Amino acid sequence: MARPPRIWISNETPAPGEVVRVRAQVVHVMESGFRVDAEGQPIPEDLLTGFTAMLDDALLMEWLPETAISQNPYIEFTFAARHSGRLRMVWSDGSGVADEAEREIRVG
Amino acid sequence: MTSYVSDMRRRRLLAGGAAVAGLAACGLWATAARAQASLAMPQPDSAEADRIAAEFTGGAEPLAEGLALDLPALGDNPAAVPVRVHVTEPMTEASWCEEIILIADLNPKPLACRFRFTAATGSADVAVRLRLIQSMPIRAYARMNDGRLLAVRQEITVAAGGCGL
Amino acid sequence: MKIRRRTLLSAAPGLALGGALAGISPALAAPAALTGDTVLKPRSGRAPRIVICGGGWGGLTAARYLKAELPDAEVILLERNPFFWSAPFSNKWLIDVVDTGFLVHDMQRPANRYGYTLVQCEVTGIERDRKIVRTSKGNVDYDFLILSGGIRDAWDVWFGDDQAAIDHTRTHYASAYIPQGQMLGLKDRIRSFQGGTIVMTLPPPPHRCPPSPYERACLMAWHFKTNNIPARIVILDPKPQAAPIGEGYRTAFRELYPDIITHVPNARVKEVDPFNKRIMTEAGDFDFDDAIFMPPHQAAEMVFHADLIGTDAEGRPTGWADMHPRLYHANSDDSVYIVGDSMGAISPHFGHYPKSAHVANYIAKIVAKNIGERVRGQEVVARLPDNLCYMLVNGDPREAISVEFTYELGPDDLVHQTQIDIDVRTPDLMEEDFGWINGMFDDFVRV
Repeated sequence: MARPPRIWISNETPAPGEVVRVRAQVVHVMESGFRVDAEGQPIPEDLLTGFTAMLDDALLMEWLPETAISQNPYIEFTFAARHSGRLRMVWSDGSGVADEAEREIRVG
Repeated sequence: MTSYVSDMRRRRLLAGGAAVAGLAACGLWATAARAQASLAMPQPDSAEADRIAAEFTGGAEPLAEGLALDLPALGDNPAAVPVRVHVTEPMTEASWCEEIILIADLNPKPLACRFRFTAATGSADVAVRLRLIQSMPIRAYARMNDGRLLAVRQEITVAAGGCGL
Repeated sequence: MKIRRRTLLSAAPGLALGGALAGISPALAAPAALTGDTVLKPRSGRAPRIVICGGGWGGLTAARYLKAELPDAEVILLERNPFFWSAPFSNKWLIDVVDTGFLVHDMQRPANRYGYTLVQCEVTGIERDRKIVRTSKGNVDYDFLILSGGIRDAWDVWFGDDQAAIDHTRTHYASAYIPQGQMLGLKDRIRSFQGGTIVMTLPPPPHRCPPSPYERACLMAWHFKTNNIPARIVILDPKPQAAPIGEGYRTAFRELYPDIITHVPNARVKEVDPFNKRIMTEAGDFDFDDAIFMPPHQAAEMVFHADLIGTDAEGRPTGWADMHPRLYHANSDDSVYIVGDSMGAISPHFGHYPKSAHVANYIAKIVAKNIGERVRGQEVVARLPDNLCYMLVNGDPREAISVEFTYELGPDDLVHQTQIDIDVRTPDLMEEDFGWINGMFDDFVRV
């Protein structure tokens, strides 16, 4: 089954300056590097290491998860909607871009 | 029917009996996925968390107000304990939060994550889910663009069970 | 088609001739009265006979997959209801996300398609020493027996032997967690509610479909909100907080239904007075105008009939089947399998598998394989299920949350559970839910 990022946005057409809340969750194993397999061999660390949220060219938020972040990482953040634009979210891990999602924000 | 049933009973003894009596011997678990063991060990105390905090604050004493931490009374699922942290004062284009760090004191790696913001964010309010190896203190530190440091700390009790670390 | 027409043509003139009637004359004899010795289905030949008690998600799935596994076996499915009513999606049906036809399915057509025998009857007793199931239509003997009866409402835990209180509560405040007719009454009660307080109890864990009472509260609240009905829903939860998908639910309660839903944690039921509409809990006493009462859930009556209920460390009955946690047969009788919600504890790490339709369907397939392996004299392979639930929390837009469980065998030879809550409510999860249930219906009941 396809598992796209789950995105919830409090209001995609906010008033100018309105604080918009974003919730996003992706499926990622978040292998801690502490575990060993049945043969006692260590399972290599595989962590989501970065998340960025941009509104057009402006960086809104950067998140740097470590091992304590749960499997299928959940991130919630807010931003003040000062102008319309494309909200672009990118999740990255050791192998590069792990997931991405975009939503249009229309300030009216 | 009679001959079938007795025949089947004998076979059942062979198959079912062996299955129940000698699990390893007959390779019963061949296709069942095996959960991996973990070498994750909790920190013995908050020393490593203190070190991370000092690195963030540069040794300065943070303000005990202005940063809020929301945790459940009980982390019923230690693999995903919801944690929200936010700066309580309004963010403006002149005064805003640059960075927040979240620390789970006794996790094998206490630094849980960093959040970085910009003047464009207009807010500093984030929530994540943590996996916690045991009950422990959770703390957060924030650095404002004017150099102010804020801190908050709270204990959390987590239910028994695998945290997935 | 051609043959049938020819039969009709040749039979029709035959009606005029007395001799032609001889072939169907037994139908004219009076039906025999049922006695303790009446045989429901005599054996024909030496094929293994597998009797399945309960034609829900587990039983219907087991019947289909047993015939696939053992085409020569005689598979007999005993079910008390005349048609299948899906409990999954019935909360959504309460607010018309789907119509009745989506939930209700004929069971005869899948029986015909897959080649098993469906008998509508009540299971009245199980004699394991004689390998016989007693039913309202006679006795049926088995080589293997699958008990897939779901749950019973343990009203006696609340009311002891006070039959008047049990009857009043059952007839006025039923939860419809055992679907069929109760669902219609529940929908009528919600639709005709004009305002006031509805209390809802959750059973102590383990119980059927753990996240679904909160879904029901959300969808009822959505109905009241959109129809401007001044209703308040009080969820009396014995747990310290809503779970699973607790965060998704807490967010929905707070953001979507702040004036309607009150979630009361640690509200273990102490006493219920259904006549004076009052319930006493460890978190306080509550008066109500209407109620949806879930007493403790236990294994279906048939597991009690079969004397297969487990006991805890203190020797008290657990209310659930005493069974092998990875081979799914009774610990005391390996010819009897338990499938679905009646199943007992699986692992000290997490207790029971979630009592869900998904797990019942999954375990039924595993048990069909295991019985096939045994009949063929092959090595029995232990297999573990997974679980998946989608829960609708908003009626417009239709936003759902979900929880997944995966299982692995640990180095301690015990089953370990990983739980993944998807807290973010989104319309795409509702779309996936439709994909899930359509796949399921096509798997075991819709032909």
